[in-house]
Amino acid sequence: MAKNLRGDLQVASANRLVDGMVVFLDAAAQWTDRLDRADVARDEKAAERLLERARAESATVVDPFLVAVTEDGAGRIEPLSLREKIRAAGLTFAAIAAESVRYA
Amino acid sequence: MPDAHFYRYDDYDRRLVAERVEQFRDQVRRRLAGELTEDQFKPLRLTNGLYLQLHAYMLRIAIPYGTLSSRQLRKLAEISRTYDRGYGHFTTRQNLQLNWIKLEQAPDAIAALAEVDMHSIQTSGNCVRNTTADHFAGAAADEIEDPRVWCEIVRQWSTLHPEFSFLPRKFKIAITGSPNDRAAVRVHDIGLRFWRNGEGEAGFEVIVGGGLGRTPMIGKTLREFLPKDELLAYLEATLRVYNRHGRRDNLFKARIKILVHEIGAEKMREEVEAEYESMKDSALKLAPETIEAIARQFAPPPLQSKRTRVPEVEALKLEDRNFALWLKSNVAPHRAPGHAIVTASLKPAGAPPGDASAAQMEGVADIADAYSFSEIRVSHEQNLVLPHVAIEDLPAVYRALGRLGFAEANIGKITDIIACPGLDYCALANARSIPVAQRISNHFAALARQHDIGDLKIKISGCINACGHHHVGHIGILGVDKNGAELYQISLGGDVDFGHTALGTILGPAVPAERVVEAVDTLVATYLEVRTDGERFVDTYRRIGIQPFKDRVYATV
Repeated sequence: MAKNLRGDLQVASANRLVDGMVVFLDAAAQWTDRLDRADVARDEKAAERLLERARAESATVVDPFLVAVTEDGAGRIEPLSLREKIRAAGLTFAAIAAESVRYA
Repeated sequence: MPDAHFYRYDDYDRRLVAERVEQFRDQVRRRLAGELTEDQFKPLRLTNGLYLQLHAYMLRIAIPYGTLSSRQLRKLAEISRTYDRGYGHFTTRQNLQLNWIKLEQAPDAIAALAEVDMHSIQTSGNCVRNTTADHFAGAAADEIEDPRVWCEIVRQWSTLHPEFSFLPRKFKIAITGSPNDRAAVRVHDIGLRFWRNGEGEAGFEVIVGGGLGRTPMIGKTLREFLPKDELLAYLEATLRVYNRHGRRDNLFKARIKILVHEIGAEKMREEVEAEYESMKDSALKLAPETIEAIARQFAPPPLQSKRTRVPEVEALKLEDRNFALWLKSNVAPHRAPGHAIVTASLKPAGAPPGDASAAQMEGVADIADAYSFSEIRVSHEQNLVLPHVAIEDLPAVYRALGRLGFAEANIGKITDIIACPGLDYCALANARSIPVAQRISNHFAALARQHDIGDLKIKISGCINACGHHHVGHIGILGVDKNGAELYQISLGGDVDFGHTALGTILGPAVPAERVVEAVDTLVATYLEVRTDGERFVDTYRRIGIQPFKDRVYATV
């Protein structure tokens, strides 16, 4: 069982092998970069099965693991931890662009 | 323009790097084809400086002793634009990290590095890492000897050294050639400090067992004075003792500092000296012609005699207050009359510390070609240095850097913040560093106020591994995760100045992220109220202690 298995809801995540991008496992066992398409496990047994499925589909990703998430009334899911929020949403500041010579 | 004033690769170096590129290309091909598992591949990619971080692969590129030619910096810009997102992060180890490398393109990126005699070998793993040096090396007015000659000797000795490729833990060496330590030698696994003995002979003080991270320690002097030609034999003896006795059972106790702490400096000295006795006259003893051959490659550029008093500079000082401040903070004395060392600040207000875009890297390369003999240095404080600028060219260099956003007159000031990548990038981090640095930088952006506050070094780490050197910040800030909330532990009084090296003392309970700026502001206000003439923040702290700062911060935060 994954160490960070806490909270009722879980999604499976990993980094894509070719470029390291953050991906999530969807219900069709495909890896997607969209958290909103992630398959959500709603209890501990389902989470175990989700992780097993993620591991079985890990040829194109690195080290799948479970991420605890919350779901709002509209069905939008969001990771619980700041680390996973940042993994899912990207940098929390504006990175400099290649041709920039001045910071905004 | 050739890389004329520092070490040039010979055929052996080029072959070694080229072979490594092809080996790595094949390893990546096999990984992508499914012939290697991640467990098999991970040590191979790490050996080539390729980490997997939160969002992407990160390539750590070695910049030996922080020295770059303009040609190399342009290539780094090109690589960042072609294989990454067009910017890079200069680190506290004088390296460059590219944060968005694709695995399938990593071999091409490394091949491009090899075109300019660069690589990413030994930027990860339990081996001897890039040896760092004073970023003013070869130019500083206070220098005894150019430490880069000795860094290069160490580089050649330690590269793929078969005995030291699987040490208990990583191993970092820093060398300063000046009494004013700008290389933080007392907080490295081995620190080497040049000094002259009573006979006027230059040699090394050998300092062992320093380090930051989870268990910060200040290094102990094992040898007061080591003759130069004995350096490699003594290093080899030290590494052997560490390799033999260093702990491999516990990752957190595996650095040499723990060994020195556990057995004591005296016992460590006995062990090293005994080992050294058995090898001091071996092939590792450096022949004068070997030293001279390498030293010749670091011959100073042909600096012409230049004016030391330049009316245009004096006039601009009166006309442009920021230029006058820039001269004070960003320009340092050069050994050659009529010349100066210029630090380009990679810390404009609100910017991620140490980041430069491809265009900015190219701009600095152009300025180096025009005004600094095509040489650039990377400082461990995450800035770039133009080491050989004529005083009469300072106005032009100031304007050119200004066009890049790199002429902020803040070197050594409160916004010249060291910050690790933190939780925005790093798989090890617990909290963010860069946004905290940005908020502090914006809060204290006014240059006149910064100069009124004076020298004050803030160093921020996003976890206990201390890549942001928070233990040795005048104000150190460590991000911690407490039940999912980012909190920041503040420490005071850290320092790496020679003779004053100290680890900071924790101020009190960690403060919430949104209160960090307020806490720093309160610390500064407390200092400003009680400082005496000429006292820097850290001097006041040493005089009055932590309590007045603590009382004020926790009364308001």
